[in-house]
Amino acid sequence: MVVKISMRNNGLITYLLAALFKCGKLVPVVVLQLVVTHASFAQTDTTRHLKEVPVTATPAPRLQTLIPVQQIGNKDFARYSAFSVADAVRNFTGVNVKDYGGIGGLKTISVRGLSTNHTAVLFDGVQINDAQTGQIDLSKFNLNNVQQISLYNGQPEDLLQPARSYASASVLSITTIRPMLTSQKPYQIQAGIKTGSFGLINPYLQWQQRMGNNWQMVINGNYTKANGKYKYKVDGDGSDTLATRKNGDVRSLQTDAALYWNKNDSSKFNIHINYYNAKRGLPGAVIFYSESPGQHLNNNDLFIQAGYQRLWKNGLQLLLNSKLSQLKTRYLDSPYFNTKGFILENYRQREAYQSVALAYHITNKWDVSYSADVSYTKVDADIDKYAFPGRLTILNVVASSLKLGRWQFQGNVLNTNIHETVEKGTAFQQRSVLSPTLMASVQPFANPDLKLRAFYKNAFRAPTLDELYYFASAERTIKPEFVYQYDIGATYSKNLNGILQYITITADAYYNNVHNKILAIPNRNPAVFSFSNLGKVDIKGIDAGFKTQTIQQNGWSMLLSTNYTYQQALDVSDENSSTYKQQIPYTPKHTLALNAGVNYRQAGVYFNHILSSGRYYTGNNLPEYLVPGYAVSDASAVYNFITNKTPVQASFEVNNLSNKNYSIIRSYPMPGRSYRLSLQITI
Amino acid sequence: MKQFQLKTLLSAVAILSLLSACHKDKVNPDSGPKILDPGVLVLNQGGITHNNSTLTYYDYATKATSSDIFASVNTRGLGDTGNDAKIYGSKMYITVNYSSTLEIVDARTIKSIKQIKMVDGATNRQPRYVVFDKGKAFISSYDGTVAVLDTATLTIDKYIKVGRNPEQMVISNGKLYVANSGGLDFSNPDKTVSVINLTSLAEIKKIDITSTNPINIAADAYGDVYVIAYGTDYPSKPTLTIIDNNTDAVKTTTDIDASYGTSFVINGDLAYYLTDAGKVKVYNVKTQTVVKESFITDNTSIKVPFNIAVIPETGQVLVTDAVDYTNNGKLFAFNTDGTLAYSFTAGINPGAIVVLKK
Repeated sequence: MVVKISMRNNGLITYLLAALFKCGKLVPVVVLQLVVTHASFAQTDTTRHLKEVPVTATPAPRLQTLIPVQQIGNKDFARYSAFSVADAVRNFTGVNVKDYGGIGGLKTISVRGLSTNHTAVLFDGVQINDAQTGQIDLSKFNLNNVQQISLYNGQPEDLLQPARSYASASVLSITTIRPMLTSQKPYQIQAGIKTGSFGLINPYLQWQQRMGNNWQMVINGNYTKANGKYKYKVDGDGSDTLATRKNGDVRSLQTDAALYWNKNDSSKFNIHINYYNAKRGLPGAVIFYSESPGQHLNNNDLFIQAGYQRLWKNGLQLLLNSKLSQLKTRYLDSPYFNTKGFILENYRQREAYQSVALAYHITNKWDVSYSADVSYTKVDADIDKYAFPGRLTILNVVASSLKLGRWQFQGNVLNTNIHETVEKGTAFQQRSVLSPTLMASVQPFANPDLKLRAFYKNAFRAPTLDELYYFASAERTIKPEFVYQYDIGATYSKNLNGILQYITITADAYYNNVHNKILAIPNRNPAVFSFSNLGKVDIKGIDAGFKTQTIQQNGWSMLLSTNYTYQQALDVSDENSSTYKQQIPYTPKHTLALNAGVNYRQAGVYFNHILSSGRYYTGNNLPEYLVPGYAVSDASAVYNFITNKTPVQASFEVNNLSNKNYSIIRSYPMPGRSYRLSLQITI
Repeated sequence: MKQFQLKTLLSAVAILSLLSACHKDKVNPDSGPKILDPGVLVLNQGGITHNNSTLTYYDYATKATSSDIFASVNTRGLGDTGNDAKIYGSKMYITVNYSSTLEIVDARTIKSIKQIKMVDGATNRQPRYVVFDKGKAFISSYDGTVAVLDTATLTIDKYIKVGRNPEQMVISNGKLYVANSGGLDFSNPDKTVSVINLTSLAEIKKIDITSTNPINIAADAYGDVYVIAYGTDYPSKPTLTIIDNNTDAVKTTTDIDASYGTSFVINGDLAYYLTDAGKVKVYNVKTQTVVKESFITDNTSIKVPFNIAVIPETGQVLVTDAVDYTNNGKLFAFNTDGTLAYSFTAGINPGAIVVLKK
């Protein structure tokens, strides 16, 4: 009977777990691959080039912020051999992407040892909220229309932003491409196709259009089809042949239409309509000696969001954001040994959201702001004894920033109110909670290269609607999970005159203390499957980054960035438990990400390497429960040229160069070496 | 410059890769199957989808445990969610629920003799429990069947169709009684016990016990079959139904303070079962009353009682503790006076208990 709970559990909430692997012999293969790639890149030199860009010094990237910020722009995606947002953020320090493998496999982000629910994902400044599961699958976001992705520890330091941006432990912000058209060329069309391993076919189209002096429009369409098949090695079942991962097929259509209006930059308006439809096979865990037919998941998501920003001459600013969204999910598990012979669950999550933010420049050095957000979320599901919860959330934030000489201070207080209604059981209520944040930075010397910073942030997450009501036969009393974050760091950024254009070094040490951690409490009796607030976690870590770029010389330039993460995340819930002071599951102690590239005129080859130490999949840090560490490399080559006056970008990417057999989540093997070819034309 | 940078890059990569030298598998070289000394085996279910079902071996003499004797002897894992293990003759039969296999191993060395994939075409049958009678093994599976395996040829002769999601079985009066749980249908569980004639190997009756979700079943020497059904409510209201093995009619149904899924193990006149509070209750099958509210007499505390077994020869009672269902569990062995004899750490969700004799 234990079986039953976990079967349900491995369904929708988390598409659970898979296989061990052995240490690969990486070094020689990588060296060989790189040499080969480099040679082939030299040959591409014969085609006609774009007009050479005059050599200009690139200033050091803006990293000297009040809080740690990491960014990746659309020009960099190929350097990281990234296909989805999940791939693009893997290299960030402090980040642990939980990847269930494959093109349609769930990919969620965990920042600084905290669960994925603590990271808010913003789409053009407005949160993508999933009150039901609390997790956003980053594999859903294709990079084709993304301009930039930023990760903020704490929160974005902008004062004029929705209250929701203040309400999480960290913020992952996705910004889409905005048209920058002139009256000389009032339109731009980009069309491209990506194809390669997993039977991938991904055509996309972007049409930007200028309509008069004030209006611009952009429409994106993106279709992905893949059979998702890949070879993997099962370790531990005595077999020595490769198996094929099946039922990982994906078919998805993502469309986004946006309209921008702006008047002298003091008044801006935008509206987005975004539709996402996907049918995915969930291959499930690799189970020894058996082949599972897997499950199927269909998503049908629609949202409309609008934003209006106004700047008055007296220093007052207004930002309005509205959003209506509907997320429909259909989950099928067949065959299943119940009367029907299958499990079919349909969910519909609808949300209405309104945000108002006001900021005011009191003096040049002193700003204040106030934001208020109201959202109402309703979940309907056709499952047994469902509660049909509705959640009303009201957030209020007062914030201020102040510059005093070389010091900069910013602080805010967030007030959260949650009111829920249910048709069955008892509704969760959260009365007013105050969460403060304080940030400070200082430039210690007259030379601005070095800056020091520190922040304290108290964030909390409400239990998700699944945690509260999913198969809640027994009444669940769950309190919100609190996180107290402390960070101290330094940034050093210097523009140089030698071969190197600049170097930037950032380092932050942090301490996160999690109280009332929401833990799933399994039970043999499926009716009792429950959640509690027993957990306490102490997380100490270091995030460090280094970045540099050479000047362009005879058309050549090189760049290098590397990030290191140390995380000690200890379970300190219960002194008498065997898991006391043990590293929490799926949290590597060391992660190192390295990215290097060589550009020659309009071509480039890039290399990306990620190294993660072993992780335990249980709270007992025993060798038998270790998911071994891994080192995985990707390489890519990009070439821009003009043919028949049409700019073309061609790129070739190889993921997992050394064909390493590894997994991030136990029983979910990652794909071996895979290839992707992209072609894009701009008209 | 280019050349230099490239070299630097490559050596950086090389160093990184060396740094990444990861965890080495510790597989002991197989020095031929060793005959195990008397002790206790615990079949740990592991976590579902973790492929970490293991067999803990405890040696009476050395008091040492090896955490996965199956893997160290066979250099492969048992698979996912081992549910039941029993010795018959010289072999041990292990049902592995999610891997949908029946592992047949040498009971003295744990060396695998045969692995049978329990499938119906492409569908996993999901084997649950095994019992034996006259050279035949009977294996219940969640697909609503009981497989009949010839223990001489180690082949399945037949699948007998029973109720939904059958669980435990017991042999009494020349018949096989199967508890049909229907537990995979949360809103509509089964409430029957199938009766199979052991000569014709066919279901002859489905007894409606009126209580839903029967899982555990046992038989005494006085012609009674005991069935515990749990329902799907919270809090669960388990009932004990007594069936007459002559008429196959329900004699009585009473409430029982039993923890969900506990075995009801009968040794002579006494039956032992677990309660949610971590107690071991003793029931007299002759008088059909609870004779001891708490068998454990010392301060041994069991967090999550998971399974129970009695050693017939010594009367020792063995209880497993799943602790939190996600980390390593324990086994506690109690003397007949209810004091702790010994305990050891088992794997995740320690379920079936097997005693290895000389």
